[in-house]
Amino acid sequence: MEKLIYSIIKGTENPAQLISVLNGLRGISGAKLEVVSCERIAAVVCSVQKNAVVTDRSGTLEYAGLVDNLSKEFTLLPVRFGSVMESNDEIRKMLQKNYKEIEKNLLKVEGRVEFGLKVFCDPEKLQARFNAKGEAEIKTVDNTVKGQNNSVFKDYVNKKLIEYRIEESLLSYVNSVIQEITECCAGLEAISKYKKMPSPTNIIDALFLIDKEMTDQLIRLVKDLQTRYPDLNFILTGPWPPYNFVDITIS
Amino acid sequence: MNENVIDRSRDITILEVLDRVLNKGVILTGDIVISVADVDLIYLGVKLMLSSVETMEKLKSGKH
Repeated sequence: MEKLIYSIIKGTENPAQLISVLNGLRGISGAKLEVVSCERIAAVVCSVQKNAVVTDRSGTLEYAGLVDNLSKEFTLLPVRFGSVMESNDEIRKMLQKNYKEIEKNLLKVEGRVEFGLKVFCDPEKLQARFNAKGEAEIKTVDNTVKGQNNSVFKDYVNKKLIEYRIEESLLSYVNSVIQEITECCAGLEAISKYKKMPSPTNIIDALFLIDKEMTDQLIRLVKDLQTRYPDLNFILTGPWPPYNFVDITIS
Repeated sequence: MNENVIDRSRDITILEVLDRVLNKGVILTGDIVISVADVDLIYLGVKLMLSSVETMEKLKSGKH
């Protein structure tokens, strides 16, 4: 049997609490949970048949559900799904070897939760808005190249110029929305990450790590942002365990 | 708010869960092995593998 690792948690001063919480929870397919401790940290694991983590979407969601439940009781670092080690001894050695890094990460996420904010747009509407602006600028370009009789050349340059202007305007718009989000969230003392335009409809993908107590304030701020940008759709998800703010790769 | 919006939010949440569980968190490098029908498949990208697992299970059970 191998060991599937769910999370690395900060050890508790009350081991009885840990045991009682784990007794009330089950791993994937009802597996019994075990704890592998190393000083002030511990891994929550369960036994799996050697080389056989069989799963589907529901198994993965079950895994996420357990990590979520654990995060309500303990400060933890979620472990990527499917991480298996040979034995509890191997896990203990891994914890020992990476102790400082794990402790540093646990300290960073203690008392905090992760939120995801996705901002969606109607790309056609947005493009039409910037297209009008681009075309207006092309007229100026047309005037400057009046002497040119080569209309194919002119059409090509104008087309490329419009595309460039639209892209430029879109990026500048996205930057202005990000700036506004950042300013709104300044009081939250959040650690944040932004991804610009991951897809044509999803113009911003933001992540926040905030104190649990700041949750209501963040929700209010996002509602406020939604009112200010009626053409955009703000979707806030969370609270999540701190998946995106863990920075450890263990070999 | 209409049903489409609610459905979309639900889909986004599931995608968010899967993205986090499969791609984020503490990464233990090395082989992650997922087995289907007693055949070991070396992990390449769990996301891809998951869809393959689901497809294979459907094929096995005759649900196409």
